[in-house]
Amino acid sequence: MGGASKRGAFFMNITVNGNNFDYQGAGSVDSLLKQLGANPEAVALMVNDQIIPRTERNTVVLKAGDRVEVLSFMGGG
Amino acid sequence: MKNEQKLILGGQEFESRLFVGTGKFSSVDVMLAAIKASGAQLVTVALRRFNQERPSDDLLSPLIKLGVTLVPNTSGARNAAEAVRAAMLGRELSGSRFVKVEIHPNPHHLMPDPLETYEACKQLAKAGFIVLPYMPADPVLAKRLEDVGCAAVMPLGSAIGSGHGLSTVEMVRLIIADSGIPVIVDAGIRAPSEAATCMEMGCGAVLVNSAIAAAGDPVAMASAFAMAVKAGTAARQAGLMAQSGHAVATSPLTSFLAGDPA
Repeated sequence: MGGASKRGAFFMNITVNGNNFDYQGAGSVDSLLKQLGANPEAVALMVNDQIIPRTERNTVVLKAGDRVEVLSFMGGG
Repeated sequence: MKNEQKLILGGQEFESRLFVGTGKFSSVDVMLAAIKASGAQLVTVALRRFNQERPSDDLLSPLIKLGVTLVPNTSGARNAAEAVRAAMLGRELSGSRFVKVEIHPNPHHLMPDPLETYEACKQLAKAGFIVLPYMPADPVLAKRLEDVGCAAVMPLGSAIGSGHGLSTVEMVRLIIADSGIPVIVDAGIRAPSEAATCMEMGCGAVLVNSAIAAAGDPVAMASAFAMAVKAGTAARQAGLMAQSGHAVATSPLTSFLAGDPA
């Protein structure tokens, strides 16, 4: 579980690509990508099985227990 | 010749009839060089979970720089619902309406599930995708997939990555005979001669991955495939001679050395 810190940043436990993840940041998926070191242009996102279009990333606020999938293109036939 | 010069898929024209997959290459550099040598304009990619340890594994930017059109596949999907979601994610990431529907629940043989493939294609075509289904070489299913709005059908030559070539040749022939959309042989091709055969039979294109990526020299093999596909296409357009059940002499048979009365 988690909550808001004194500085207004969120900390909470979420699931990223099937693994537990301690998230700290402003609560948006954009800030999660930064924490993961992912190039925002090169990944697609789902939160709780919902696809989050690029244009809506700023507006989605993560909450404790959310399941996030971060996907990118790899080699395939 | 007329309208056969260019391949048309979803209203878009393509010069190259060789599609290339991006799996199994030893490095991104070799893959990019091979795609360049192949002349392919349509290139398949797979969606995978982002790897935090290897954030630079991503293929999107190098492929976009190369100027090819991406065809995200739905590999990993075990049913129609998963394939549709994978397609949506692929479109979100690539900006491309192309999708290769690929639903093979059994990792042993990787044979496509015809029922789930049909259902996924129906939904994706309705949603505006340019749908290219990887499918069993079944002429009845091919027509059904055409009816629901697929832009092409992609029957398998043999099992994915097996290198067993065009083992479905007679079924592919039947699919081509009836099809109103391009037929693209996908999977199993090992040698450029097999790709040429596909084109001579009237395929719209071939999709090659393992045969290039796992070749001794992938870049040289990509270029060999490009030549073979061009040769097969040219041969098809030139019109192959009719076959005969008996010999038809090419040289005159009248004798002039022996039998001349003295």
